[in-house]
Amino acid sequence: MAVDVREIEHEPVHAPPPPRRGLRRLTGAGWLRVLWTMPLAWGLGTLLVIGVRSAMGFEPLWELQVLIVVWTIVVPLAFLAALGGFDYWAYWISGRPTRSEDHSGHGARTWKDYFRVNTDHKVIGIQYLVTTIFFFVAAGLMAMFMRAELARPGMQYVDTNTFNGLFSVHASLMIFLFIIPAFAGLGNYVIPLMIGAPDMAFPRLNALSYWLLPIAGLIMLSSYLVPDGGAFAAGWTNYVPLAVNQADGNLMFQMGVQWAGASSIMTALNFLVTIITMRAPGMSFWRMPLLVWANFATSTLVVLATPFVAGSQFFIMFDRVLHTNFFNPELGGDIVAYQHIFWFYSHPAVYIMMLPGFGIASEVISVFARKPIFGYRLMALSLMAILILGFSVWAHHMFVSGMQPWIRIPMMVTTLVIAVPTGIKVFSWLATLWEGRLHFTTPMLFASGFVSMFVIGGLSGIYLGSVPVDIHASDTYFVVAHIHYVLFGGSLFTIFAGIYYWFPKMTGRMYDERLGRIHFWMSFIGFNVTFFPMHWIGLQGMPRRVADYSDEFGNWNFAISIASFALGASTVVFLYNMIVSWRRGPRAPGNPWRGLTLEWQVSSPPPVFNFDEIPQVVGSPYEYGVRGARHAVTNGDRAQVEEREKVQA
Amino acid sequence: MVLVGVAVGVALALVAVLIPWLPDAASEQAGIVDSVYWMVTIICVLVFAAVAGVSAYAVYKFRAPPGDTDDGSPIHGHTGLEIVWTIIPAVLVTAIAIYSGVALGQSDDLPADHRVIEVTGRQFTWTFTYPDIELEKGRPLTSGELVVPVDETVEFLITSEDVIHSFWVPEWRMKQDAVKGIVTRTIVEPTKIGTYPVICTELCGLGHAIMRSQARVLSASDFNAWVKEQRRLAAEGASVQGTALFTAQCGSCHTLADAGTTMEVGPNLDEALKGKDAAFIRESIVDPSASIAEGYQDIMPANFGELFTDPQLDGLVEYLLEATGGG
Repeated sequence: MAVDVREIEHEPVHAPPPPRRGLRRLTGAGWLRVLWTMPLAWGLGTLLVIGVRSAMGFEPLWELQVLIVVWTIVVPLAFLAALGGFDYWAYWISGRPTRSEDHSGHGARTWKDYFRVNTDHKVIGIQYLVTTIFFFVAAGLMAMFMRAELARPGMQYVDTNTFNGLFSVHASLMIFLFIIPAFAGLGNYVIPLMIGAPDMAFPRLNALSYWLLPIAGLIMLSSYLVPDGGAFAAGWTNYVPLAVNQADGNLMFQMGVQWAGASSIMTALNFLVTIITMRAPGMSFWRMPLLVWANFATSTLVVLATPFVAGSQFFIMFDRVLHTNFFNPELGGDIVAYQHIFWFYSHPAVYIMMLPGFGIASEVISVFARKPIFGYRLMALSLMAILILGFSVWAHHMFVSGMQPWIRIPMMVTTLVIAVPTGIKVFSWLATLWEGRLHFTTPMLFASGFVSMFVIGGLSGIYLGSVPVDIHASDTYFVVAHIHYVLFGGSLFTIFAGIYYWFPKMTGRMYDERLGRIHFWMSFIGFNVTFFPMHWIGLQGMPRRVADYSDEFGNWNFAISIASFALGASTVVFLYNMIVSWRRGPRAPGNPWRGLTLEWQVSSPPPVFNFDEIPQVVGSPYEYGVRGARHAVTNGDRAQVEEREKVQA
Repeated sequence: MVLVGVAVGVALALVAVLIPWLPDAASEQAGIVDSVYWMVTIICVLVFAAVAGVSAYAVYKFRAPPGDTDDGSPIHGHTGLEIVWTIIPAVLVTAIAIYSGVALGQSDDLPADHRVIEVTGRQFTWTFTYPDIELEKGRPLTSGELVVPVDETVEFLITSEDVIHSFWVPEWRMKQDAVKGIVTRTIVEPTKIGTYPVICTELCGLGHAIMRSQARVLSASDFNAWVKEQRRLAAEGASVQGTALFTAQCGSCHTLADAGTTMEVGPNLDEALKGKDAAFIRESIVDPSASIAEGYQDIMPANFGELFTDPQLDGLVEYLLEATGGG
């Protein structure tokens, strides 16, 4: 690495900037600066819109649509700048001294360190997880409201507009603010540790990508406050023309997605560069843990696909605000084109929400079966196969959309073929259990729960992949059942497995095993009773996204609602366990699970720069049961290895 | 292990067979779709039984005793097995793909002698137009409910006047989106006389859940009688047809005690039209944006004026006047 002149002139190493006093505290990075910059940006944005509109002679001057677009751009930017997200780059650009060796932004000594632009991947990982769990709870509560309304046919508690808002915001938050970033949070914490790196490749970018996330979530949540119509209510798919015709709240989805998408892309780039360039000596691609492989594949998907969803939402925004005609058939626009652009991201997004979970399941199952993962190379290759095939199946969401009929057959074939690499993974997990010594701790329960539930979700996907069956089942509760088996039984169970598995590493404390098991069984049973009957009512004729339905489905929906409340209650057990264990749980040893991967070879929680000594990787990460096998050695035990080699020779 | 697998398989097969998973099959196409459905089901039951059997056995057999610190057998893989579980699923999904492709071709098959019915979706009603049947001079038969003769292939040409809707009759198994600006199509040959729901399955706004109509499949003679009746009603223009028109077109959103409708998407007409005169009622139908009842949004379709003939409109206004005690 080239030595920069400025690095030689800089202040003493590790020195934080001198504290500011008096009024100057208002100009230093932090929440005080946020307090006055955000209203200022809001005011300037408003003035800009009104100024331009009056200069152009547009009526009315106060046009909420335009204002929402400007506000959701300038206010978050002001927030990020004020919090210090751009400080380093701004200093660099303006030629002022930067503190490239200033590590005051690293690590967390008090809770306050979680509320600033922290560059430590471990802090950022926890910031991600806590934030995403907040949005998980919010979106889960919306599901509870929906199930309350759906418990009986007819309208009871909410009107249809509110109901449409509930399921739209529920799905958007769960997808963009929970599942995708929760995996990013787990990856953030674990990947540098697993590959033997001191941090991510771009720590400041990492910090920025985290802080984009609460912005996206708050924009989506605050859509409930938009006057005349409230929250966006065209589903998370936001199909046109409904999205163009809807009240102003719809813009909050279009703009919120941009921030979540930008965050996603930044993190993915960071993961890719980190995984490619920062692996410890000796860690070839074929010695990487499968979670790292999974995030490598996922990040590639994110980088290639996410711009499409950003584009699709920008086009809607342009149609609304600038009166373009991308999706206006009266002036040459094409309604079905939206679905192609949208699903070109949103189908790969299903794998973005699934592959990291595959990685977590592989780690957990191998450790708690005390066995090497079965067919490691094929496991890694099948991830890459899913990555490639995942880009060629998007139109299976559109079999009844009115697109060109010929596309249906090729897309059906690619969709069904994806079952092959997915099947390989499932069979390999099962084979990993075979002749193992299975320890059913909470993470293992969730990982095995994931495998069985994901099989059901995968098989119902075969039904939906077959065009004739899909024509009957699409847009019914069968689809609702399918996506929840994949995203709840699949993604969410692996997120829980990951959180419990790495909880000791992250917090330095053990969670309560008994509460963990209660949480698992409540979720597992509640989940199945809630979602399995939906297959049936869907095939029988209940469409999705309805607040009211035919009386014949009344009893089933009542049972489903009751089960869903039990499922919701399981989250309380989870939160209680997490909060209490984090504060008062017994101290965790460095390696409570006797894992071989690198994150377990350091203390819990790890030192600020992860490894006091960069490990030398000498073998596979899963050599359980192999006598004398090592994944990595450090100087301390290198002598020991040489000794044994001498003996063997 | 084989025993566990067989037990799981048998249990699943019973669940799959004993529960009537699919609604009544009332069209030629339904039989085709159902055969694909059952083929996929058989394969999925076998796969799931194998997976569940292995898992259940593994969990039972390989559970470690408490405090155990041993490792399992260091098995890294088995090339033969890996080839087997790559090839078998590949063969199975290929079979499903081929069978589905053939079935799709069959259900898309359109015989030369078929009836065309145009389906138009709008927030939140369906309109069915019969271009081959003249209601009166130069005006085809249109209806708010779908009426078709049994055993005759129908080509539905589907479009939308506003957002996307989706036309679905579960008993026919066929579904097709209605998209503004293009005409999509689906082919159905109803094989059973009866009444089935027509359901909108694409989220289309506030009234999506109640965007329903019905499909009545009649014998050929009953169908001809129905056509005749429609012609007679169109010619009459009295309030006799008001009730029928109201139930078919307005009742999916409005409550009206006299017609026995109970939906609450739009205002309750017993209250909103109470004491109003004919001019107000006519304006509210033809130009619904002119006066919006308090607490409601401007979402009523604006083209009923074009959809109804003048006699029909007169009949509807007359009927509403009577039913709400106005005038």
